[in-house]
This record gives sequence, structure tokens and C-alpha cells, in this order.
Amino acid sequence: MNKIMYLEFERCIGCRACQAACRECGDHDAKERNYVEYVDFTESRQTFPMLCMQCKDPACARVCPANAIQITDEGVVLSAMEEKCIGCRNCTFGCPFGIPKFDFESNKMYKCDMCYDRTKDDIAPMCASVCPSEAIRFIDFDEMQQLRRRRTQMNLVEGKKPQEGNKWEYVPEFFGVYTDSQR
Amino acid sequence: MIKLEKSFYSKASMYSFFAVLLLFFSMWVSTSNFLHIDMALLGYMISSFIFAIGLGIRMSFWLYRKATSRVASRSTENLFDIERLKRSAKSIFRTLIDNIILQKFIFRRGIYRGIQHIMISWGCLISFGVTFGLTFGWFRFDLIDPETYQVVVFNIPTMTMAAHGLFAELVYNALNIGAIMVMIGVCMALYRRLTNYDVKVTQRFEFDILPLLILLAVTATGLFLTISYTFLDGWMHHYMSLTHQVTVVIMLMYFPFGKLFHVPIRPLAAAVPMSYQEIVKVDTKACKGCGQPYSNDDQIADVQAILKAQDIDFKLADGTYLSDYCTGCRRRIRVMKQMNMEAPMGDPYGPVNTNNGIHISGFGKKRSEEFYGMDKKAREDSKEENEHEPVSR
Repeated sequence: MNKIMYLEFERCIGCRACQAACRECGDHDAKERNYVEYVDFTESRQTFPMLCMQCKDPACARVCPANAIQITDEGVVLSAMEEKCIGCRNCTFGCPFGIPKFDFESNKMYKCDMCYDRTKDDIAPMCASVCPSEAIRFIDFDEMQQLRRRRTQMNLVEGKKPQEGNKWEYVPEFFGVYTDSQR
Repeated sequence: MIKLEKSFYSKASMYSFFAVLLLFFSMWVSTSNFLHIDMALLGYMISSFIFAIGLGIRMSFWLYRKATSRVASRSTENLFDIERLKRSAKSIFRTLIDNIILQKFIFRRGIYRGIQHIMISWGCLISFGVTFGLTFGWFRFDLIDPETYQVVVFNIPTMTMAAHGLFAELVYNALNIGAIMVMIGVCMALYRRLTNYDVKVTQRFEFDILPLLILLAVTATGLFLTISYTFLDGWMHHYMSLTHQVTVVIMLMYFPFGKLFHVPIRPLAAAVPMSYQEIVKVDTKACKGCGQPYSNDDQIADVQAILKAQDIDFKLADGTYLSDYCTGCRRRIRVMKQMNMEAPMGDPYGPVNTNNGIHISGFGKKRSEEFYGMDKKAREDSKEENEHEPVSR
């Protein structure tokens, strides 16, 4: 898998097409695994999409007492294996981003697996393929780096100028230290 | 206990040793000093001992995991807490009935899957019970008179039964019944695994299909033995009994290390109502952010302890942990942080934040003092050095 998911929260228009698409994905039992939520409903109608970060060392797997959460060769963190999951919900509390969901009826945890059946063949996940405002994108690594740089240029567009004391705040993340360019 | 442990190579080998010792002792008692050993089952006996060793090792390693040991030790503590006796008994009983015997949660995932699983599991449990019972001599049948058998359990004579009664026939054919159940279940499971696209996405041959094939081989060879001696005058019986033995040995060797290991870990499900969520969908601990109940104190304490034991640090600047917030609040915290919108303390007019704080951009930027993990004395020393350092940059 040479592509990556790229989220831009500000671009979300709150149409929830990604959630509808997620429900349609195979093996999801018509339950969405991603989130679209309000940043602050009393302030504005701004929403943000939220997916699993597919951590390299996932806290959800670390706190699972049954060792049920597995990671594929491509680095996708899968939902808990149904035969192992004992339904304790530790993963939902361990996850720093609040991603895993729990189905009390059938006693299993389910989480975003980046539509593993699609992404393992470099097809965009359901949510990214339907997002009308490109808040969720499934793009090449190089394209992502370009977008990242443009994102820092946005500061200049908005009239925020770097000064001697804070110029490093304006440099894109991973500047000069990113080594894992194969992914 | 610590001294005893020192005389073994590892904890795992100690527990395996005691498992073997216990089995050997139970054999000694139930076969009245090895008088009633069924020598035809010798191969099964040896492989069962190896099975016990494998299971001992695998269970030890599983319990050695930080998360498992934390959950298991809390549950054992609660089990022996007299004040929680009622709750513990109730949760164990309910888990046993709903989760293990009736397997209701699998039926809720689908009737087909429920039937398939209950067939395999109960067929296997019946077969395992009969096989281990006979190989270790835990029970045997003594002929009292030509029409009556007596069931001897652990060398204690119990009930008698007519040699051709209904109960006796059921007992004789217990393995056949178990095998037919497993065979039906395995065929259903194989059909599902081979045709259902959703399952095929994440399944792996060696993990999901292989155990089914092994079980199928065991049941097929076992049932052929019955067919051989009832309909075919014992044709190929000797060779097939050897083949059956080989398949059973493979299955017993595979059991602790493959998918079938989910059987011995399932009882941990009792820990959920016992120490965590007593009533389904009823939470007691309130979220630090929004005040909504989302969990309970014991579970959050456990999660934080497990994370700490594995050096995963989710402590926020104000001393709270991320797991003190409900999932919704945690998602919001991430978004606010990423968009540099952490009102009211954050700076909404600052640059759009592209740093996650893990990778520091630039070369001249110093991390906070705590990052370097120096003690107080060393920190002061280094400060002095910095002060006297000649400035040449």
C-alpha cells in the first residue's frame, strides 16, 4: 500500500456522506465506523470527520487483555478478532483518539479498518471515495507532502508572518527528519 | 513460592510441570495404581501430556501480558472479596450460561454462525471429555454381571447401567455423536469461509482454515472407524485407527498455538460483569470534559495502569489522562489540538499548527527540560555549563 489517508478537518461540510458510505462497506453490518461531529455546536456549525489513525504501536492493542487486536502487514489495525474479544471495552478507553466502537448486542468491538478489502488493492476507502469537499482523501505520499507544504503557506495567505522567535512553527512537520518515505 | 520458582527454568515450565504432575497423579488414583490403563490409548495419552504442557506454556505467556495479568489479577481479587461474593457468583453463573454454554452472543451475530459454532464447540467438548476421560482413566466401565456395567469415576464405583440400555448406547456412541456434530459445524464453517466475501477479506489460511481442516480430518477418520467396524467388517480398521491417531495428535499439538486457543481464554469474559460493567450499558464514571457517564472507576484505573506499565504516556498538561475523557471528548481534543483551537488558553491567531510535538521541526529548537529525563542536580549542573559556555554562534 503506497497511498495514505489525508484528513483536512476544516474542509468538512458535515454532509455525512462518509458515514453513509461506511455503512455500505462489506462486513460493516450497516453500522458506520467513522465519526462526523461538531467542533463546538454553541459556536458554529463546523464539523470534522474522524477516522482511525492506524497507529504503528496501537494503544488499543496494548490494553486488550485477550490480545484480539491484530495489525496487518500493511500496517492496518483491524477490529478485534471476534473469537478472542471478551467484550471488556478496554480498547475504547485506551485509544487516545476515541475511535473503537462497541456492539453490546453481539459482544464485539468494531473500528475503522480503512476498508482493508479496498485499500490493500490501492482502491480508496468508501469514505474517501464519496467525500464531496475532499476533507478525506486517499492520496500518494508525495501528494501528501505537497499538501502539507501548502498548508503552511496558508499561514501567509491568512496574514500570519513568521518572526525570528517562532519561524520554526511555520515549517511543515517532519521537515528534514522524515525517513520512512516508502510508506 | 519464589524459591520454588527459582528451581525451574521459567514460570511457564513450572506451571507445565505441575499440570503434568496433577494429571499423572489423577491417573494414578483413577486407574487404581495404573492397573486399569487402556494400552490401546497410549499414543493419545502421551500426546495429551504434551498438550497439557503446551497449554501450560501458552496460558503462562498469555497471562504474562501486562493487560491480561492486570484484568485477571483484579478479577481474582474480586473473586475472593467476601463483600462482592454475590456479584461475583452472579456474573460467573451468567457468563457460564449465556456466554459459554448457550453462546447467545454468537447467535446474535447470525443464526447460521450460531448453529455452526455451537455444533463445533459442543461436539469438541463432548469428544474431548470422552477422550481425556478414557485415556487418563478418569472413568471406566466394569462388568458386574453379563447384563450390567458399572461406571467407575476416579476409581469410585458409581451408577450401574444395563449393557444394552438407552443410556449405555448414548455413552458408547458419545464420540460418534460428537464427531457428527463437529462435522456438520465444520462443513458449515468451511462453506462460509470459502464463499462469504466479507470474511475472506481478513481471514488467513493458516489461522482460520487450517484448524477447520484439521478438525475435519479428525472427525472423518474417526467416523470411518465406526463405519469400518459396523458395515465393512473392519476393513482398513487398523490403518485408519493409526491415521486417526495421527490426526488427533496433530490437533492436540495445534490446539494451544492456533485459533483453537480462544477456548481457554473465553472464561475471562466473566471478568467484565465481575469487575467492570456490572449491568450491560450502565456506566458510572463521569467524563472529565462533558460530565456524561462513560465507564467505571475500576476499568479506567486498570487501563491507565496497563498503559503506564508499557510506557505509553497519555497524560495531559493539567495532570489528567486521555482516558479520563469520554470518546467524544477525546476526538474533540485531538481536533482542537490539531487546528490550534484549544480555547480559551490556546492562541487562535497563531500559525496553523502542523507539529504534533513528537517530531520537532528545525534544528535549533530545544525541548522542554523534562524531555531529557535529567534529575534535578544534573539539570542545574548543565545550566551552569550553559551559562559559562562561550558564545560563538
